[in-house]
Amino acid sequence: MIHVENMSKEFISPKKYPGFKGALKGLFSNEKVRKLAVDNISFAIAKGEMVGYIGSNGAGKSTSIKMMTGILTPTSGKCTVNGIVPYENRQLNAANIGVVFGQRTQLWWDLPLSETFSILKEVYNVSDEDFKNRMEFLQEVLGFDSFIHSTVRTLSLGQRMRADLAAALLHNPKVLYLDEPTIGLDLVVKDSMRQAIKEINAEYQTTVILTTHDLSDIEQLCERIIIIDEGRVIYDGTIANIKELYGKRRSVTVDVMDIQALEAIDFHEVFNLSGELLAVAKEQSSISFDFDKNVLNISHIISKVMEGTAVRDIKIQDTQITDIVKEIYKHGM
Amino acid sequence: MRRYFHLYRVFATQFMKSLVQSKVDFIIGLLGFFLSQMFGIVFLSLVFKQIPSLNGWTFEQLVFIYGFAQIPRGIDHFLTDNIWMLAMRYVIRGEFDRFLLRPINPFFQLICDKFQADAVGELIVGFALVVFSVVNHTVTVTPVNVLLFMISVFAGALIYTSIKLFFASLAFWIKDSIAILQLAYETADFAKYPLSIYPKGIRFILTYLIPFAFVAFFPASYFLTGENVIMTIGAEVLIAGIVWIIAYAVFRKGLTVYESAGN
Repeated sequence: MIHVENMSKEFISPKKYPGFKGALKGLFSNEKVRKLAVDNISFAIAKGEMVGYIGSNGAGKSTSIKMMTGILTPTSGKCTVNGIVPYENRQLNAANIGVVFGQRTQLWWDLPLSETFSILKEVYNVSDEDFKNRMEFLQEVLGFDSFIHSTVRTLSLGQRMRADLAAALLHNPKVLYLDEPTIGLDLVVKDSMRQAIKEINAEYQTTVILTTHDLSDIEQLCERIIIIDEGRVIYDGTIANIKELYGKRRSVTVDVMDIQALEAIDFHEVFNLSGELLAVAKEQSSISFDFDKNVLNISHIISKVMEGTAVRDIKIQDTQITDIVKEIYKHGM
Repeated sequence: MRRYFHLYRVFATQFMKSLVQSKVDFIIGLLGFFLSQMFGIVFLSLVFKQIPSLNGWTFEQLVFIYGFAQIPRGIDHFLTDNIWMLAMRYVIRGEFDRFLLRPINPFFQLICDKFQADAVGELIVGFALVVFSVVNHTVTVTPVNVLLFMISVFAGALIYTSIKLFFASLAFWIKDSIAILQLAYETADFAKYPLSIYPKGIRFILTYLIPFAFVAFFPASYFLTGENVIMTIGAEVLIAGIVWIIAYAVFRKGLTVYESAGN
């Protein structure tokens, strides 16, 4: 569905100097600053896939999405969406895609929402029957009945985002681009947005590309993620795989009856592991272990603790994708 | 093409609806433009209290030129006023994105986004002065003249639109072209008076660089004198075609260098 080949985007802007003197200097100098926002990225996305496209602020996510939607023209390389080069055939491409930018609405600010939908119906040439069916479907998953006659500018953020998503889906696009669609939303609205995306994907095999800083969006919706950093793709694969690669750490916290009873046990010695592979922390009534799951089994730890004292509760934590991504943003792959 | 007519009607209907909802705004805006045009006429009559004629033109003839100039200006103002937004915010704020994400022509979307009802004030003044000129026999009404009048008004509006589009499109390169657009647009004020009263430099600019002379003075002088239809209205139509092609090409080129804005 989407093929991106060696795509790069470079922004060139005149060099700026600080202060008033600097501004004058800038007026007469011809120096340019080049910024490579997207650096030679390639990937392919199949029909019906839902892909999380993530990276820290300024990593190049939005820029690459804008090239895929046809807003920007790549400096070099190319991409095709459903066989169309988006920045060369914008209007043709636009009929196939739906776009939601969380930061910026695409609705008509001064019109009631209902009018917006009827204009979009004309813009995308949606037949009366399809329009009716889809409005029913979208209304059901996104629930905008209560504010459909309100003017767009009077909507709350949560209402507006639901409306924006509905507007992007009205023509049943083949590809849906979501650029931070859940930013600033409360948990209930977030959930209904995710639900809608999931159902649309299941129902119509819509290809979805999602950028977000809320990784729970990704975990709930996507199997595959592409991580981009400083304009380059640094990871492209399944979430399960990245957890496999980076999620070697497990942590377990055991609430015990008598912490004193464990005083005598040296867990490093018992398991014959260094502090790097096993970290132990004792608190008032609990003891927690942070360890590499490849060298130590949880059941061993627990049975060892139970030898010493009675156990009240056990909490096991898998590696969170958030932790992995934080690690990657900080240190690279 | 039929689809675009249909869509245009849809947008226009929406606009009418919102107009009805904000009557007060509409009336104030209309009054504002109406008054500012009337002051122009009052000023002209004061000047003519001191002098019998200006460079061979009588007061009545000047009133016709003045009024005639308002009509294409008003039409353009009414239909394509939103081009100003391209110059002042769509590019620099990245709001132009949404026009590139819909399967219809971006220029069409740009002008359909908003109509400018205040322009009706200019149109009322323009038509009133033209009718006044017909009544006092400054110009004569013949079927040919009416046809030429309509052609000329259309071509004049197109020249206005093209000049606006050209300078607004520069925003794709320089991000904010409002200052240069304003400067260019205001030279249109010169075109309300006979070109022959100006020094050479200004005449040159209005004829060859920013061709506002073809919007009003040249066609109006045909209706006043009946001479040289080819060199006046013919030239106007030709110029309108040329400036439109240039302006639209610049706009299209601008779309390819558009950089959006970070978010």
